Amino acid sequence: MSVWSAAQPRACFPLLTQQSELIWLDSAATTQKPLAVLDAERAFYEQINANVHRGAHRLGHAATEAFEAARSSVAHFINSPSRQQVVFTRGATEAINLVAHSWGGSQLQAGDEILISMLEHHADIVPWQMLAARTGAMVKPIPLTDALELDLDALAAMLSPRTRLVCVTAMSNVLGTRPPLSRIIAMAHAVGARVLVDAAQALAHDVIDVQALDADFLVFSAHKVFGPTGIGALWARMELLEAMPPWQGGGEMIARVSFDGTTYAPPPLRFEAGTPAFAQAVGFAAALNWLQQQDRSAIAAHETALYQQLAAGIAHIDGVHILGAPHDKGPIASLAFATAHPYDVAQFLDNADIAVRVGNHCAEPLMQALQQHGTLRVSIAAYNSAHDITRLLAVLAETLELLA
Amino acid sequence: MTTLSIPALPASLELTALRQRLADAQGWENKNRTLVQLARDLPSLPEAFRTEDHRIQGCEARVWLYTDDQNGQIALWVDSDSRVVKGLLALVWSAYAGRSADEVRNFDFAALLQELGLSRFLSSSRVSGLSAIVRAIQRAV
Ligand SMILES: Cc1ncc(COP(=O)(O)O)c(C=O)c1O
Repeated sequence: MSVWSAAQPRACFPLLTQQSELIWLDSAATTQKPLAVLDAERAFYEQINANVHRGAHRLGHAATEAFEAARSSVAHFINSPSRQQVVFTRGATEAINLVAHSWGGSQLQAGDEILISMLEHHADIVPWQMLAARTGAMVKPIPLTDALELDLDALAAMLSPRTRLVCVTAMSNVLGTRPPLSRIIAMAHAVGARVLVDAAQALAHDVIDVQALDADFLVFSAHKVFGPTGIGALWARMELLEAMPPWQGGGEMIARVSFDGTTYAPPPLRFEAGTPAFAQAVGFAAALNWLQQQDRSAIAAHETALYQQLAAGIAHIDGVHILGAPHDKGPIASLAFATAHPYDVAQFLDNADIAVRVGNHCAEPLMQALQQHGTLRVSIAAYNSAHDITRLLAVLAETLELLA
Repeated sequence: MTTLSIPALPASLELTALRQRLADAQGWENKNRTLVQLARDLPSLPEAFRTEDHRIQGCEARVWLYTDDQNGQIALWVDSDSRVVKGLLALVWSAYAGRSADEVRNFDFAALLQELGLSRFLSSSRVSGLSAIVRAIQRAV
């Protein structure tokens, strides 16, 4: 296996080269963007810009082609059988809301159950609670074990013919936990339930293959995978998409409109009312293509090595520990402090130009389960280096002494 | 509820002394270090009073405020689980303790932050947290 050197990817990221002292350990909130993404959007605006799916002119055709090519890139990145199964959305959150409204609104009724992992981000909780309130379906949390893994025995006991949907993250944005997706999906399918996988965090780190995974729905956001803000996607099985009603009305999503009745376009356009974020779609594709050109297993090994360096260093500092020790986890660590307040620690890290996130990370139910008011999250990406972690550990040790 | 006997403000936290220390601390890091030192001098609110009743909403860190009217002058006790915030609360305490209702209503806390060069350094969420505390003190008189 080749060795990944972070110096080379860091050089691809204009913000990181222009702010050479900055240590960005907040990639789980949003990643920085490689030049390839900025160039792709700029080139689109300079050379092609036109609205998609409507222009009777050269640029309109070129823009539509670029937009649909971007859809193909996304489909290819997750090994979708077809690009029609990729619906562009504003991000993971909107993708989940789409499924809740359209699939959930048409399929669920009182007495049905939605099982939601305790690890989920609010984006994968609140839309289901809203759906439950509308339909009378019930939302039930899947608990965690002491090691902060999903409790599969508990899940097995909860699954029943009433279970219609299981919602689970591919990587916790708080703890980095990777639940055993294949097993969970097989267990859910065995009772006839569908599974929605939140891949918002995992996509930048793991190779995701929707066919191998056998998932029903999968969602993600471009801005967490080196792409632009304002765009993301829903992937779903074709037979599910075909049966799903539209959730927003407008242009682009119709086959024909008359005041006697309107017929809808087939998927994916049925779910893309209005002008889509087409320039961002081009940037999104550029981000995925950039990532695919890198040696992804070398990046994964590099991130794991940095995580291990972090964990080993934290073990030697008094008054702080990493929450949870799941056996499979990505390069995300939530730090808990014996006495120091995470906001104070983050403030001193910020003084040293080290960016981390503090708070409940949009996962209040998980925080309650962890009995934490907030944690300090360190999240690692391809462009981080051993120097970043060394510096974080040094400033952290100094800060905790100062606050002791 | 049982009442609390509020301690006197430590001399190191008199407004003039405190003004000097914060004005002398140059730069973001030194200001933060000074705030952490100030926090050490501020007595901690007893655990029994760190309750939801006494909590100020709208702060990132948890903040508790206890006030009492002592012959027309306000006595107060403020505390936080964050050291940096507690350092800022030392400033609140020294600005408001022992003042009359009129003085409390008229004191311009934002101007004090400005004068000490703190406004520039504080995030907007810190500033809105501090205004929530000041408003709660003004409501108490
Ligand atoms: C696991 C997870 N799911 C969903 C989201 C929501 O993503 P977005 O805000 O881009 O829609 C996030 C963002 O933090 C996340 O970490």
